[in-house]
Amino acid sequence: MQQEFEVIIVGGGHAGTEAALASARMGVKTLLLTQNIETIGQMSCNPAIGGIGKSHLVKEIDAMGGAMAHAADLAGIQFRVLNRRKGPAVRATRAQTDRALYRQTIRTLVENQENLSIFQQEVDDIIVENETVKGVVTRMGLRFTAHAVVLTVGTFLGGCIHVGEQNFKGGRAGDAASIKLADRLREQPLGVDRLKTGTPPRIDGRSIDYSKTEEQPGDNPTPVLSFMGNVKQHPQQVSCHITYTNQTSHEIIRASMHKSPIYSGAIQGVGPRYCPSIEDKVTRFADRDRHQVFIEPEGLNTHEVYPNGISTSLPYDVQLDMVHSIAGLENCHITRPGYAIEYDYFNPMGLKANLETKSLTGLFFAGQINGTTGYEEAGAQGLMAGINAARTVQQKEPVILRRDQAYIGVMIDDLITRGTQEPYRMFTSRAEYRLVLREDNADLRLTLLAQELGLIDTLRWERFCWKKETIEKEQSRLDNTFVQPSHVSKAQGENLFGSSLEREYSMSNLLRRPEVSYKTFAELEQFGPYMEDREVIEQLDIQAKYAGYMQRQNAEIQKSKRLEDTVIPNEFNYANVKGLSNEVLQKLSTVKPSTVSQASRISGMTPAAVSLLLVHLKGQSRKQA
Amino acid sequence: MESTDTICALATPTGNAGVAVIRISGPLALPIGEQITDKRLKPRYAHFVSFYDHHKATLDEGIAIYFPKPNSFTGEDVVELHPHANPYIYQHLLTTLNKLGARLAIAGEFSERAFLNGKMDLTQLEAIADLITSGSEQAARSAVLSMQGKFSKQVQEILQQLILIRTHIEASLDFSEEDIEVETRSKMGEELTILNQTLEKLFIAAQQGVQLQKGATIVLTGRPNVGKSSLFNALCAEDRAIVTNIPGTTRDVVRADIQIGGLPIQLLDTAGIREQAELVEQEGISRAHSAIETADLIIHVVDKPQSILTSKSNEIIVLNKIDLMDATETIRDAIQVSAKTGEGLKQLQDQITIALGITIQNQEPPFSARIRHLEALKRSKHAVQTATQHIQHSSPIELVAEELRLAQQSLAEITGDFTPDDLLDYVFREFCIGK
Repeated sequence: MQQEFEVIIVGGGHAGTEAALASARMGVKTLLLTQNIETIGQMSCNPAIGGIGKSHLVKEIDAMGGAMAHAADLAGIQFRVLNRRKGPAVRATRAQTDRALYRQTIRTLVENQENLSIFQQEVDDIIVENETVKGVVTRMGLRFTAHAVVLTVGTFLGGCIHVGEQNFKGGRAGDAASIKLADRLREQPLGVDRLKTGTPPRIDGRSIDYSKTEEQPGDNPTPVLSFMGNVKQHPQQVSCHITYTNQTSHEIIRASMHKSPIYSGAIQGVGPRYCPSIEDKVTRFADRDRHQVFIEPEGLNTHEVYPNGISTSLPYDVQLDMVHSIAGLENCHITRPGYAIEYDYFNPMGLKANLETKSLTGLFFAGQINGTTGYEEAGAQGLMAGINAARTVQQKEPVILRRDQAYIGVMIDDLITRGTQEPYRMFTSRAEYRLVLREDNADLRLTLLAQELGLIDTLRWERFCWKKETIEKEQSRLDNTFVQPSHVSKAQGENLFGSSLEREYSMSNLLRRPEVSYKTFAELEQFGPYMEDREVIEQLDIQAKYAGYMQRQNAEIQKSKRLEDTVIPNEFNYANVKGLSNEVLQKLSTVKPSTVSQASRISGMTPAAVSLLLVHLKGQSRKQA
Repeated sequence: MESTDTICALATPTGNAGVAVIRISGPLALPIGEQITDKRLKPRYAHFVSFYDHHKATLDEGIAIYFPKPNSFTGEDVVELHPHANPYIYQHLLTTLNKLGARLAIAGEFSERAFLNGKMDLTQLEAIADLITSGSEQAARSAVLSMQGKFSKQVQEILQQLILIRTHIEASLDFSEEDIEVETRSKMGEELTILNQTLEKLFIAAQQGVQLQKGATIVLTGRPNVGKSSLFNALCAEDRAIVTNIPGTTRDVVRADIQIGGLPIQLLDTAGIREQAELVEQEGISRAHSAIETADLIIHVVDKPQSILTSKSNEIIVLNKIDLMDATETIRDAIQVSAKTGEGLKQLQDQITIALGITIQNQEPPFSARIRHLEALKRSKHAVQTATQHIQHSSPIELVAEELRLAQQSLAEITGDFTPDDLLDYVFREFCIGK
């Protein structure tokens, strides 16, 4: 029995669904294979989308026609803008989501997507001929063929769950691990290693005394995540709550520390530094007398809550004691124990920039299999892997986002150039062009590309064109409209612009002043009418305030473009480059960078080594010419 | 392959010789060449020009030639300057070129560009590779040399302060949801002010180190007829300037290369500054003013105790003609000298050495490495200053973060690579992060 497709996606999580949707949207016949159709779009960890750095990814996925922002708008039950009082580059939207609603929204999208089929069956093997992937084999022995296969298997590869001194195989509480596929992949030259992550116990919300906690309501006005989103799409809004661990909780943890698999040595995998278990926090920051716990609702139609901040793999009885020591949780009922999970990941330095493995043509990896953590990181890779798998089928050039173009570009370049030793999560500090890569301009950065790739619908394209043109027209009007001293009284000048006008100023010049915003101009009726679209006004304000920094970062971007444009051939032999040190030589041979720019970011590269590479490449191309 | 930046370097061996060649290559070569010569440069034409510093003071006279791309050594726009081969002059020219936007080339960079632009034969590929390798090794050696001892320790200390502030700022940006205590803006402002002062101090110290390579400029000033030219001749130990008892005899700046305590010094005699001067003398006085502005040290000569004004930080007051005075007429804080008899000259020379803040025993590593450090420190300092202003003006904190990222990027040119992941490491060590 054999069925033919063009692209196969293995896994129905956040990477898998974005990959499947993107590939199918590009008109390629796509199959999504999952262990369980009921868990398509499942949020395995806490029920929230976005946050600092992550929301940037979500908005980029959205600009490229992806599903995540849309699903979060439909499933979000509490929305907040983090860093609201800081500048626009670090502002970030976060949505607490109803787990069931989110899953349902994603499933509806997947089921209704043209060119996309779904099949429920665990994949046991990949078909490889001449180092090229030809398809997959499922547990029942069914063969599905395709030109490209995208593996988005999350924590399921060789997954092992730990609770206290017990451990068992599993991909997520309640789901089986993919052991056979893991064994099969371990035979390939892919560089496998182990990572670890964890979750807290879940609690029945009816058994919580909320009067002992702080309420944290959502923001008003309520933000949206998708550029096509609308507040009216949001379901009923609810609050989160905050409570704290205390000295008693910490004593309980310390007394049982030897039973934690992390400290007993049962867990070998490396966990994230920014998402430590409560055992870790108590050990590493022993002087802290409390740690924050966010009580996050799991949804509108369930009583379960997610106590974010006490991820643990301690034995269940210790978890119970520890939770009961926390204010408001004294009498609570735990519905599911917390656990740590260890899983296989592949060194992402074994990937090309299009997320295809270097060793097997047509095999793409996305999500936690590449050592990342987080729905947003997974979704973003899924999107790019899906796009590039489809491009392979279409026999077109790969689509690679640059570091100055998108957080997605930063993440993938980080992964393939420097690898990762812990679950990789996005932070704004990872982006050297942070001021350029903002939530608010993700559409302006990426929609045009998405349109060219056939990823977005007409409605989005038209809305985008309108917005872009309106901004440009109004910007040029502001550049060319001059306010004369005679237009404003002295008092008005001081009031509006911080000082009376001594000479004429263009409106865009005035807009650069810290005390001035676009809305300030409303007072000057003779220069109206003014734009009313919130997003347009936002762009005009931000572009004016950041103008100097934009220019500087753009100059930096131009400077590195020469290296970006110098491509290193795939089969390039670094040993032929005279003068490279052994260390540099070895790193270059491992990473096999695709451009000199990527080469320059490999740890240990010197400017001299970059020069040698440039000279050698030029020499080679001249010899051929 | 079009380069985006413009580079410059001395193309002839260092040291005193007849003529030196400085090459400028890149998109800004022509505008910079025209600015430093204040002349329109025709292609492939040997112009006889004056070289000016950024204060428009004349540094030297010589030849300037413009080679438009692609018919030049590198295949880019190239301007060659041929000044006299005097270390003082060409170092000063290079510094001026840096200020105008041409950075110092790294070893082999001109050849690299020439090769990339198809200006060199393939057979030369290996030679260029060798050049880059040995150049970088040499740079590494001199970097290692300069990274030993006090300078390195101070750079490291500054780096630690900078990292600490960045740790707090980045934590406040990426982890604002966490229950962590990040420093207040005012505290950050205070720390940045201290950092700025430390950087300033280090910069001055490093500058003095570079001075040693470059030599120092000392200008003699004072009212007409106080004996500046006599003192000038006494310090030169020969008659270079014309000495008369007519006020206003010296009308142009007179220069001499001398050594004091082993330090190469360019000594400048200037026109005495007075208000009623005729045209030629006025021009001399204005040149004197610009010489004073760029000088490392000013020797202010007086011949009467009462004519002392308040002294500036880089100024030594000399009371000349003590052979004509009573001992009771001497003044404090002035060095008593008689240019005529030579009395007090030794004390003056000692004072000059002290004032330049240099002890001659420390031989510094090669010039190029040190100038680079200085440039890096300067950029770093500038970024920290802008960051401080952002704090004071309550600008968005990510702009402070951006400046400090640049500040550290500049320091990294001295201390080596520092990645965002390294910074995150500090954040996770400092703060308990993680819901």
